Amino acid sequence: MEDERFDCIVVGAGVAGLAAAMVLARNNMKFLLIEKGEFAGAKNVSGGVLWGNDLARLVPEYWKEEEGGWERFINHRRLTFMDEQSTFSIDFKSAHFNQTPYTGVVVLRSKFDRWLADKVQEAIDASDFAMESFIAPNIKVDEVLMEHDKAVGIRTGEEKFYADSVIIAEGVNNLLTRQVGLQDDYVPADHVLTGIKEVIRYDQKVLEDRFQLNGLSGMSNEFVGYATDGVEGGGFLYTNRDTISIGLVLGLKDLRKKRKSPHDILNHFKAHPVIADTIRDGEVIEYSAHVVSSGDKRLMPRELYKDGILICGEAANLLMNAGKAIQGMDYAMRSGILAAETIVKAKEKGDYTSRTMKEYRTALDNSYVIKDMNGFQDAVHMLHSPQMYKDVPNLICDFGRKFFSIRNEPTRKSRELMSESIKKHSSYWDLVKLGIKGARSL
Amino acid sequence: MKLLNLPERLGLVSYRNQARSEIKPHIVVDTEICNTTCPHKATTYVCPANCYTIDDHGKVHFQVEDCIECGTCMYACDQGAVSWNYPDPEIGRGVTWNFG
Repeated sequence: MEDERFDCIVVGAGVAGLAAAMVLARNNMKFLLIEKGEFAGAKNVSGGVLWGNDLARLVPEYWKEEEGGWERFINHRRLTFMDEQSTFSIDFKSAHFNQTPYTGVVVLRSKFDRWLADKVQEAIDASDFAMESFIAPNIKVDEVLMEHDKAVGIRTGEEKFYADSVIIAEGVNNLLTRQVGLQDDYVPADHVLTGIKEVIRYDQKVLEDRFQLNGLSGMSNEFVGYATDGVEGGGFLYTNRDTISIGLVLGLKDLRKKRKSPHDILNHFKAHPVIADTIRDGEVIEYSAHVVSSGDKRLMPRELYKDGILICGEAANLLMNAGKAIQGMDYAMRSGILAAETIVKAKEKGDYTSRTMKEYRTALDNSYVIKDMNGFQDAVHMLHSPQMYKDVPNLICDFGRKFFSIRNEPTRKSRELMSESIKKHSSYWDLVKLGIKGARSL
Repeated sequence: MKLLNLPERLGLVSYRNQARSEIKPHIVVDTEICNTTCPHKATTYVCPANCYTIDDHGKVHFQVEDCIECGTCMYACDQGAVSWNYPDPEIGRGVTWNFG
């Protein structure tokens, strides 16, 4: 039925799909946004901080909304190195980050995505297709329908929906991306991690006092070393309104090799004396897990477009942690925006073939997303090396313990202490190599 | 604070279609492969919901009821034993996160 044909079908109401839908609605496109969960966000898990300022492009002055979908803005950053007993942190807090637009907000996806979907619905209501564009939850897409190698719609069970284009924003477990031949059917464990997390609740006053939060300010803390029990990866702790999100990301290939369970390692992390002090007296109210991309470009699909198809967000494995922040949701948002802009152009031109779809790839290549992923691959590899998640944290904490110990005896020079710590946990030569790598990659 | 074991943690998860006696499994595992040729049986320890277990005779068993749709097993199994899909919203299991 041609009159029921959409300009675009977006698969997945996560950050990427919702960003795409917002741009489509604002440009008066007739589209269908399909979500397999009960509502947008129902199946989505993140750490998680949404970095940067693209959210204000979708929801202008979102910070003015008293009951917005986000939890807290970040004005306090902390990177913590851990050994068995100690933590050694780089801590940065600045009133500079109190100003809007914020540079990062903590989110809980079940709430945030649902809120963002409401904003998309408002944009639909204000568009020319208020009655013909839909957000449709509770539908699982089984297949992208192809005709002459061009996408023409989707199938769910026995039902088919037709469109000139399909934006695949299905997330990291990208079955449709595989089905249309842009990624192998089997993706090995090499460049994926398992994220695992607990949401722990406190009295809001207790939480704010403990983490020195003021109003809606928040803290993000990443951890390397003891947290992961010798497994590649790291830990995180973010403050929400009256809860914290605490968890780990663990290299899946390394977990398999070392025969360890993610849920055991999470308890190992939580039992660390410093972490135990930090999180005491809370009540765990949710346990969740989700696979996450490592940021290694080798994981990415062969291409991010095809006739009538665009791939965005983590379905395209757009994610990176180069040591500064774990960026994934902001990549999803930007790629969703760029994908939808390409679809708008395609409709103007009346051409949904690769010729136009390719413009998405070009726009993404010219954006900070791919520029950063290209520019920081060495940093990604370095962070996933055993030196970074084992030797360096041990060395730093060993030095810290000696440096901060006052013993009423002649104090030794720091250089001597450092030298001792280096010899115990690494070697000068290894550190020189790591230093060169670090200087080049960052 | 008290550390939670896995059953306590999974007790906090909201699953879909819990009232249904029959659900359609969204993941199908050919445990024949696990029990004959798989050298590591990795799913039995990397699954964050412990859906894969080993019995006293060393045999691998799979149950889909506790699955939280994370995807870990799809990558961890390099033996071709795991056919992974998302659950059917009507007759499948799967999760609805309260926080996410």
